[in-house]
Amino acid sequence: MFDIFNETSFLHTIITIGSFIIFGIAIVGVLTRKNLFKIFLSLSIAEASLFLYFIGNHFEVSKIAPIANIAGDNITTFSSSMADPVPQAMILTTIVIAIAILALGLTFVTSYYKLTNNIDIDKMDELKEVKS
Amino acid sequence: MSLVYLVVLPLLASFLTPLFKNYLKYISVILNLALLYTVFSFYGSLPLVENIGFDSSLSISFVATSGSLFFATLFIVVSLLFSLYNLANQNNKAIFIVTNMLLASVIGLVLSGDIFNIYIFFELASISAYILTSLNKDKKAYSAAIRYMIIGGVASIFLLLAIVLIYLNIGSLRLETIALNFNTIDLKIQFLVLLSLFIGFGIKAEISPLNFWVVDIYSGSSSKAAALFSSILSKSYIFVFFNIAYILNIEPIYFNFLVFIGVLSFVVAEISALSCQETKRIFAYSTLGQIGILFLAFSYGDIDILTGAIFLVAIHSISKLMLFLSLDILENHFGSTSIDIFKKFNSLFLTTIFAIGFLSLLGIPPFGGFIAKLTILKGFASIEQYSIIAIILIISVVEAVYFFRLLGYRYENQAKEDIKIPLVQKLSLGFIAITIFYLGVYPDWLLDISHFVASSFLKGVANV
Repeated sequence: MFDIFNETSFLHTIITIGSFIIFGIAIVGVLTRKNLFKIFLSLSIAEASLFLYFIGNHFEVSKIAPIANIAGDNITTFSSSMADPVPQAMILTTIVIAIAILALGLTFVTSYYKLTNNIDIDKMDELKEVKS
Repeated sequence: MSLVYLVVLPLLASFLTPLFKNYLKYISVILNLALLYTVFSFYGSLPLVENIGFDSSLSISFVATSGSLFFATLFIVVSLLFSLYNLANQNNKAIFIVTNMLLASVIGLVLSGDIFNIYIFFELASISAYILTSLNKDKKAYSAAIRYMIIGGVASIFLLLAIVLIYLNIGSLRLETIALNFNTIDLKIQFLVLLSLFIGFGIKAEISPLNFWVVDIYSGSSSKAAALFSSILSKSYIFVFFNIAYILNIEPIYFNFLVFIGVLSFVVAEISALSCQETKRIFAYSTLGQIGILFLAFSYGDIDILTGAIFLVAIHSISKLMLFLSLDILENHFGSTSIDIFKKFNSLFLTTIFAIGFLSLLGIPPFGGFIAKLTILKGFASIEQYSIIAIILIISVVEAVYFFRLLGYRYENQAKEDIKIPLVQKLSLGFIAITIFYLGVYPDWLLDISHFVASSFLKGVANV
């Protein structure tokens, strides 16, 4: 009865719908939140939804982990039943970059808060042009 | 010699900063000269494809075409001129590290042969730009950096979405493989990929209507940072965007859309500049206007127009570097970039530099900008696009209004202050000004190179 939950196409559908719902929530967060921390958090959630979408849509139930059996110097087995390792390598790299950028962003927010005591994006009026 | 040196050397220099902390400004000049020597060594063996590490479709690949190498050379020349200008200042660790990071990223961006590495270098260039924006460490700088990071975050999400869709539908990250299979994927997915690429690169390349944030960022950053944004960063994104567009051989309707976007950017930016009271904002709007012309010219796919566009990229890069660095001298003296500073300074040298920069950007002979605009306009005339010529000429008059207004302030009766300019800064700015004049009088060699680069662009996938 529950076999459908173990089918690749069903899982892809669920993951696609789920990740786009998360993406939508994140975009609403970026557009409606005023708190700078929450805006950066929303951007991170949007990125996470893309990671989920990519990895999830490349997942196949029957595939095994892409670890080759090595005998001596020769790779003896590297079959088509293995999962494609590229998406995982890509997403791991992207996560590292995203964390670095988030850390930098939060550092800026903290430094800005120390100078202005403000964390509301609507009250950031330093860049408005002064008309003479 | 490997292409990877062009990326590794600036990064390595950044890591070695603690060893040379008293000599950073000299190291910067030497590094840029070494990079210039390295990049020239590849010109004899183009096109060049290099797989880093191991020879496989999964390895990192760098592709040097005449287009990518021309842009890499331009970035190194701009960086060299920037480091020469900095010889008059104290050693600055932050500037040294971040400009090297920026240079490595933009070179990597134009040389990358696969779309994921483009994303990596896109993010590295963004990080460098965010830090450059914040270097003044005051309220304005942090406010600008935060805004830049939020809009940059949106750009990177859309670029990543495009890459994910490409990989899910084509199964490769190599530009060559993507190009060969792009037309086989579903039209809706194609549209979504191109839209995501346009939003991702459009935000960073400062193109209308995605450039609403740019002027604030320029205004909040130091003039030096703005010089690098205008002369290096935006050009690298334009190159990568159009390189991908030509490699993917996208439908003409998309190029027509980009033509419209280019015209919109040019018109809106130049008209917006009229009401500005701050010089940095005026220069920023001028940059947006010129980027609009570049978008327009790159989108037509005509060899003559593209030749003019490549020439304009070179001239605009060095002109904006010169103008922003001259503004840096005034900003350091007066502590402001309000247009009123043009009424207060007394320096024949700076007035001449600003006049040459403005006249070149306006496209008035005998400066390089004239040749660039003339080549573009002749290209449009040859394909009978007279309405585009009329728009460019009419809007150039608007551009002339705000530039001549700035020059006119020089003659207002107001107490003026003498500006002391270190000799090395005079030499570097003077060298750029003479180059702009020289390219206006003897443009043939750069036109030939631009023609060669333009034809390489139009070859599309045959290049990679």
